[in-house]
Amino acid sequence: MDKKESLTDSELIEMAKQNPESFGILMERYQGPLFHYIRRISQLPKDDINDLLQEVFIKIYQKLNEYSENLKFSSWAYRIAHNHVVDYFRKTSARPKTNALEGYEWEKMIKASVHIEKDIMDKDCAEKIKKCIQDMPLAYKEILILRFIEEKEYEEIMDILKKPKGTVATLIRRGKKLLAEKIKEQNINCF
Amino acid sequence: MKNLIQDTIDKIERQHITPEPGWKYLMKNYSLWLLFAIVSILAALSFSVVFDNAENLDWDLYQFMHQGRFSYFLSIIPYFWITLVVAFLVAALFEIRKTETGYRYSWSKILLITMGSIAIFGLFVSFLGFGGKLNSKLNKEIPFYRQHMMITKESQWMQPSKGFLAGTIISVAKNKLEIKDLNDKRWDVSIDDKTLIRPSANIYQNEMIKIIGEKKGEDNFKAQEIRPWTGKGMGNGQNGGSLDGSGNRGGMMQGK
Repeated sequence: MDKKESLTDSELIEMAKQNPESFGILMERYQGPLFHYIRRISQLPKDDINDLLQEVFIKIYQKLNEYSENLKFSSWAYRIAHNHVVDYFRKTSARPKTNALEGYEWEKMIKASVHIEKDIMDKDCAEKIKKCIQDMPLAYKEILILRFIEEKEYEEIMDILKKPKGTVATLIRRGKKLLAEKIKEQNINCF
Repeated sequence: MKNLIQDTIDKIERQHITPEPGWKYLMKNYSLWLLFAIVSILAALSFSVVFDNAENLDWDLYQFMHQGRFSYFLSIIPYFWITLVVAFLVAALFEIRKTETGYRYSWSKILLITMGSIAIFGLFVSFLGFGGKLNSKLNKEIPFYRQHMMITKESQWMQPSKGFLAGTIISVAKNKLEIKDLNDKRWDVSIDDKTLIRPSANIYQNEMIKIIGEKKGEDNFKAQEIRPWTGKGMGNGQNGGSLDGSGNRGGMMQGK
C-alpha cells in the first residue's frame, strides 16, 4: 500500500483502469478536498454531500480514459465535481442551502473580498456580511470560494470551470465588487 | 470517510462499472476539430468569393452615378457572402471553444487566430481561382442569385440606362464601334475627341471593353470613357488619352 501511495496520480489512473482497488488510493487522496469543495458550493447536509461525492467518484472512474495530462488531475476532478453539483441543483431545482461554511472560511472569504483594515471584531457585523455572501449568485460565490477558501491559482480555476483566464479574473473582480455593493446597500460599516 | 471509499469500490464491482473506452473521447475530440476544419474551409471559401468580387468590381463608379462613396459601397458589397463568412466564423469560434483546451484561450485571441487563418486560407483559395469559379457557376446556374443576391462585375456594367455598358468589339470604324453586350445584344457606340480611352484598353475586334457614357437610343450609346474589361485600364497599353478629331490613333481603331 505504501508503495502505491507514493505513485503519481497519472500512474494510479493507469492502474485504476485495470483494477478498481487502485482507484481507492486516488479516492483517498481526493476525498477530503472534494468533500469540502462540494460542501462549500452545495451547502448541503453531510449525508447528501457523501452521496454526491460517491457519484462524483463513480463519474471520475467512468471517465478515466478521458483524462489528459494537459491539466492537473485535481483540477479535472474538481471540474467533474463542479458539473455534478450544478447538474444536481438543476435536476432538483433547488438552490444551494446556506451557512455551510466554517467560521474560519467565512473570515478568509470576507477578508479577501472586502478591504478590511482590522480584524472583524463585531460578530453581528460578520453575520451581516455572511448574509450578503449567501445572497450572491452561485457563479460569483463559487469563484470566490475557489480563489479565497480553496486557495486555487487562476490557472486551476480556469481548468475547473473551463473558462479563460480573463473571464476568471473578471468573475473574481465582479464577485468582490458585488459583495462590496451589497455591504454598502445594507449599510454595514463596521471595519 | 473510509466507508465511502470501500462502498464506492464495492458499488463499482457489484454494478460492473468500467471506464468508458478511450476511442469514444478521441472520436468526440476529433469530430470537434473536424467540424472546426469544415466550417473554417467554408468560411475561407466564402471569403475568397468576397475577395474575388471586391477585386473585380469597379469601386470608382460612384462618381458617375452621382452617389456618395459610402452609399455606393453599401450598395455593392456582397451581403450574402459576408453573412456566410460571419456565420461560419462564429460557428468556428464555438467549435474551437468546445475542444479539450479551447477554453484556455480568450475570445479575442481565438477570434484573431481564426479570422487570420480564414483570411489567409481564403486568399490562397482565391488566388487558385476557386472563389471566381464558384461565383461564376452560381451566376450562370441560379438566376435568383444573379438577380438578387449579388452585385457582380457583369451586373454592374450591364446597366445601359444608367450609363454603363460592357461587351465585345465586333467592328471598329471611324468614330464608331459596334459591340455585342454581355446579353448578346448589338450596340452602336459613338466616340469623339472627348472620349477618354484608358491606356490599356485595346480597341480591337474581339477585345472585351467596359464603356461609361449615355444611352442615346434603343441600340445607340455615346461613350465618354472606355476601359478594358479587366481593371481600370491604368496600366501600359497601346491606347490612352482622348481621341483626336479623326478618332484614329496609331492604328488603334483598326479592326484586326
